[in-house]
Amino acid sequence: MTEIALFGAIEIGLVYALVAIGVYLSFRILDFPDLTVDGSFPLGAAVCAVLLIAGVNPWLASLAAALAGAAAGLVTATLNVRFKILHLLASILTMIALFSVNLRVMGRPNVALLMQDTVLTPFYGLGIPDHIVRPLVVGVIVAVVVLLLARFLGSEFGLAMRATGVNARMARAQGVDTDAHVYAGIALSNALTGLAGALFAQTNGFADVTTGIGTIVVGLAAVIVGETVLPARALALALVGCVAGSILYRLAVQLALSADAIGLQASDLNLVTAVLVAVALILPRLKAKASRSTKAAR
Amino acid sequence: MIVVEDIHVTFGRGTPLEKHALRGVDLTIPEGEFVTVIGSNGAGKSTFLGSLAGDVLAEQGRISIDGTDVTRWDTPRRAGLVARVFQDPMAGSCATLTIEENMALAAARGRRRGLASALGGDRRKGFRDRIAALGLGLENRLHDRMGLLSGGQRQAVSLLMATLAGSKILLLDEHTAALDPATADFVLDLTRRIVRDNRLTTLMVTHSMRQALDYGDRTLMLHEGRVVLDVAGEERAGLDVPHLLALFARQRGGAEISDDSLLIG
Ligand SMILES: Nc1ncnc2c1ncn2[C@@H]1O[C@H](COP(=O)(O)OP(=O)(O)OP(=O)(O)O)[C@@H](O)[C@H]1O
Ligand SMILES: [Mg+2]
Repeated sequence: MTEIALFGAIEIGLVYALVAIGVYLSFRILDFPDLTVDGSFPLGAAVCAVLLIAGVNPWLASLAAALAGAAAGLVTATLNVRFKILHLLASILTMIALFSVNLRVMGRPNVALLMQDTVLTPFYGLGIPDHIVRPLVVGVIVAVVVLLLARFLGSEFGLAMRATGVNARMARAQGVDTDAHVYAGIALSNALTGLAGALFAQTNGFADVTTGIGTIVVGLAAVIVGETVLPARALALALVGCVAGSILYRLAVQLALSADAIGLQASDLNLVTAVLVAVALILPRLKAKASRSTKAAR
Repeated sequence: MIVVEDIHVTFGRGTPLEKHALRGVDLTIPEGEFVTVIGSNGAGKSTFLGSLAGDVLAEQGRISIDGTDVTRWDTPRRAGLVARVFQDPMAGSCATLTIEENMALAAARGRRRGLASALGGDRRKGFRDRIAALGLGLENRLHDRMGLLSGGQRQAVSLLMATLAGSKILLLDEHTAALDPATADFVLDLTRRIVRDNRLTTLMVTHSMRQALDYGDRTLMLHEGRVVLDVAGEERAGLDVPHLLALFARQRGGAEISDDSLLIG
């Protein structure tokens, strides 16, 4: 793997670390399997790209992307909480709708960012090679997000959100408005995903409606890899695990793609990732089954 | 004080499985009274406690707590007034959160939850002192996940959690039913102590006639959604388990007759 490819993998891993953290929030903390991210990731990219082209400040454009993601999350949460549609189906509905919305936002399937200033622009002139600047800047943003989120999840509000996911009945008996916490959590999860989309557009120089496909699976893969390499109970560490998982996942993908012997193409990525996630989900069951049957054999 | 006026609860209204679970319960429970509740399976005991907690809303009648009409309040809103311990030790706490996190959740019951750290300041120390008073040695395990505790330990912590926010009403729905006899006795003694020390108005559902008479100041028997026995003071002191069993049997017998008469009628 070349140095450029290595830093490229770290960079994309860091961008998707925000998705992984969002997925961790919905799947793990709220126990709410939310596929909205397949739509909110390109939504963030689209909103950010269009605003950058309109001359908006890149930080404001990124913030707008996060807010757009949050709005998408609120739609899913409303369909589920208010109208009792199964969470998976609710999120699929939003995701499908977002495909059209994203086309509307951009006015065409993809938008290139050529001369526009991005959040990275001020850092390009500092004498550090571009391929290192990008992961550095994204890394700092991810670090800030992790710190803020760890602080948030340790607050009274955040604790109530975690209780909502673990034992909603108990949470309600403790005076927690569980519905409000589902709204807040799913909005936050998709805000992070929208922000990831915005960073993706700015680091790669384009937004494309099709970049969203498989976002959820990539996010899940990162969460699972993170949980495997860093099986932490402490919340802050689990968030760091999401980041580490996302980077490791990208490095593994990069290795696999650069090993000509395997003969993988970039377009095989979704298949490989889906298989990886499926295996990771099946393994614990097989292990449990194996230990049961060895016990029975004794 | 809890005032319950003629409440009715029906599950599955308009379906073939319609169940009129509470059929006009009328009660006044003065502040600080400890009431034990008995009745056969399906009598409506849990439904009654649920209607006090807000899990089920009465379709008719009125419930007021300390002079406030709470009939239409949902569970989270009533949580500031009412604490509960469930039958299933797993139900009353969050297994994957730590003991101190569970306590912090309970300590904020009925308050607005903001962005202040849930375990900041001298909270931890406060929790440590409170849990040390249980005498279970749990003060050194505050960072352990709740799921690691035994059922009895979880119920003990749940009882403690019920006192952290200063609410005055405690609802216990067979909270010792899942425990072995020795542990159940420990939790019952703890219950008595906590109720006394915090002067809680308490409703405790039990299937044990012995417990129903030994604990508390007043005993209710529910049958088919109604209060069929309500004894306190002298009258209750004069009751023993065989008496109560006889009353219980008579209620059930009486019910059978009325069922028959309904069929004939
Ligand atoms: N959510 C529900 N939906 C439909 N029917 C219900 C529901 N909850 C309770 N019931 C019915 O209402 C009646 C009263 O139930 P409840 O749980 O209050 O009885 P209980 O006195 O607590 O009994 P047990 O001693 O078995 O706990 C029962 O016939 C029960 O089947
Ligand atoms: Mg019951």
